[in-house]
Amino acid sequence: MSASVAYTDVERMLRECAKGFTVRLANHSRVVTYNKKVYRTLPKFDKIEIGHIRKMVRHLEINKDCVEKHGVI
Amino acid sequence: MTESVELREHPIMITLQDAISGDGFLAGITLSGRALMRKEDDEKWWMYGVHPAGIAESGTTIEETFLRFRNKYKETLFDIAQENRSFDTFKAEVERFFYEGDDDEQLWEKALLAIRSGAIAPPAPFSNLPRESPESKPSQITVERLDRKDKRFVPSDNVTDTYSVPMAQAA
Repeated sequence: MSASVAYTDVERMLRECAKGFTVRLANHSRVVTYNKKVYRTLPKFDKIEIGHIRKMVRHLEINKDCVEKHGVI
Repeated sequence: MTESVELREHPIMITLQDAISGDGFLAGITLSGRALMRKEDDEKWWMYGVHPAGIAESGTTIEETFLRFRNKYKETLFDIAQENRSFDTFKAEVERFFYEGDDDEQLWEKALLAIRSGAIAPPAPFSNLPRESPESKPSQITVERLDRKDKRFVPSDNVTDTYSVPMAQAA
């Protein structure tokens, strides 16, 4: 299993699994909002380690079945 | 009979202190938090925040993982300072960041109960860490304005960055 995935794949997953999400760039991280919650520590790199995505999915309470279909965790 | 089980989620207690410059203010932030450490399939240690919950970092050793987590936390405070024009909104956002929880809090409590049941003991390298009582060190954050005329600075305010494991016995 790859330990990281392309950010474009993460954003594709968010579009399908976290409808209404927003993402913006802060100085050090990406800030993702969904479900009235904020995940403000997603790395700004083009490749994102899966551990960060796992935590973001748990924190924002994104549907895990949907996320798994995208193969990003 | 006590069943012996392997601890996969390692509960950690963290203490961190920072002084952060904002737009016209200086803030002192002292955190007594919680996190979980876990060896993932990528063979790295991952540290997942519990309080604060919205943060994760990895490393090849638990020491490296803690240092990277600590740095990520500081960068997050920098971002919050950049985005807030007043001390009051900065404080509110830091507190929201700290207290906004997720399901990892239940995993932390479950791991603590497993340790306290006597079924497991923290394995190395966690067995070498200091032990502290979660009851005597509750999860909390203080955000204080430091650039006040009435603020008195004393050396006893200084806090060392630490990470520890919870004691097996309740305080």
